[in-house]
Amino acid sequence: MALFGGERDISLFRNLNKELLGDIITQQCVYYKLKLEETLTNMYGESAGAKYYYDPVILNALIQRPEQEYTTDEILGVDFNWGADFKFFRDDLVTANIITEVGDIIMYLDGYYEVDSVVSNQYFSGKNPQYPYNENPLNPGLEKFGSSISIICKTHYTPADKVQITKERI
Amino acid sequence: MNIPIWPGSSSFQPGDTPFGFYDTDSQFQTDADKFSQFCALRLGYPIVDIELQNINFYTAFEEAVTTYGNELFAYQASQNFLSFQGAPLTIGSANTNLPKPNLASVIRLTDQYGVETGVGGSVDWYSGSIYLTKGVQTYDLTDFAAQEGVSPGDLEIKRVFYHAPPAITRYFDPYAGTGTGMTQLMDSFGFGGGSPAINFMMMPLNYDLQKIQAIELNDQIRRSQYTFELVGNKLKIFPIPKGNVTNLWLNYIKKSDRNIPYADTGGVDVITNISQVPYSNPVYSAVNSIGRQWIFEYGLALVKEILGYVRGKYSNIPIPDAEITLNQSDLIASATADKNALLERLREYFLETSRSELIKRKAEEADSLQKELQYIPFNIFIG
Repeated sequence: MALFGGERDISLFRNLNKELLGDIITQQCVYYKLKLEETLTNMYGESAGAKYYYDPVILNALIQRPEQEYTTDEILGVDFNWGADFKFFRDDLVTANIITEVGDIIMYLDGYYEVDSVVSNQYFSGKNPQYPYNENPLNPGLEKFGSSISIICKTHYTPADKVQITKERI
Repeated sequence: MNIPIWPGSSSFQPGDTPFGFYDTDSQFQTDADKFSQFCALRLGYPIVDIELQNINFYTAFEEAVTTYGNELFAYQASQNFLSFQGAPLTIGSANTNLPKPNLASVIRLTDQYGVETGVGGSVDWYSGSIYLTKGVQTYDLTDFAAQEGVSPGDLEIKRVFYHAPPAITRYFDPYAGTGTGMTQLMDSFGFGGGSPAINFMMMPLNYDLQKIQAIELNDQIRRSQYTFELVGNKLKIFPIPKGNVTNLWLNYIKKSDRNIPYADTGGVDVITNISQVPYSNPVYSAVNSIGRQWIFEYGLALVKEILGYVRGKYSNIPIPDAEITLNQSDLIASATADKNALLERLREYFLETSRSELIKRKAEEADSLQKELQYIPFNIFIG
């Protein structure tokens, strides 16, 4: 059994994070989870035709959005890049019953961001209670210690018409 | 597991405090929830969350009341301990009885001086005698100790009854040089031996005193003195006995009796130390508003401390992709400073109401009043 990072401590972190993200910082975004079973794909596995999403969910997150980049290509001309990192408190996602995956869409300040990668690698005291390796003869009960704190979605800006959530062009 | 934190209100139930000292006091029950609300608001609720539960507030409240009572009664006990010490354990609660000063402990403390001077005390004095032998000036008290059944090392002589006969017995002694003797005169008439005092003349007392002093002074200067030296176990007497005349009486004590450090209580269990003074926890509802306000403030300091420990178990709290540091050090520093200041203020307050301070202030007040009254013009009575 471990000594630190027990369920009570994690509960304290949960309270503090919910207060911090929900009442103090209050950065919010809207998460659109892709409905894969209704979205058609072509022979390459790309979406073909309309995309379908579950109902959007408003989530608190720490959002890090750098400045826009305008890259110039000799053939294609000027391009536009705008990445953003959405850092969710994992328990918020559990409560909202959302599993973040590549391809999901996040709306933030009327812009749409497509999830490129999902990072879930922040464990308090280095332990993830979902992997206690029970029955662990050396340290039983590890499922009650540690916590996976965050899920970070790294995204890139995507034009609204590609997302097909709102009607952008006539 | 989700541990709930302070929701904004509470409802006290008996059993919610760790010790339950005051749980049945209806005023305590009422104030416990008000105190919780007070502390939460003072710490920023509802603007910020307070990571405590109602039982944390109740615990602080109970401790604050107990600390107040402890400070109060510890002060009272120390003020009156000389009166309490030695009293039976069954004297009843000191909370509700008015302490009455007494000199029992002071007299017990001074017993030791009485022992040494032979005017009281708790150590018995014994009497014994040695037989004076003609021509022997020095006597070994080791034999005397054996005779008395006392270890020589345990015996300490307190008094040697070796004195000259009182001068009054020689008041009419024709050889005393006082000129008052009538015996020779009576012998001349053939009446000698009939009585030592045939004819008396009442003289003023100062005359008798002067005669007695004259006899004593004459003996001191012209004759060998009745005195002794006591060195080690050897008693040396002066003058050297001229005959096997009498016993020499001695008073002595056993040192082991004097070394007994416990007072004889007659088998009664008595108050021997400050922890036995029969004070108990205060009755919360009997504490006045001054005391209650102190309790609230001290309780708030305790709540700060608890919250500081909660927020300070981990110096850094993880948030998504970062860490934050909470205000635990500020809370604990503030709580420590508050507690010290409150305790200091309370102790000063108690000292101001000590018996000596009150009497001193009363005397100053009387002096000032007397001085003020002197400014009133005296009436001139015109008959």
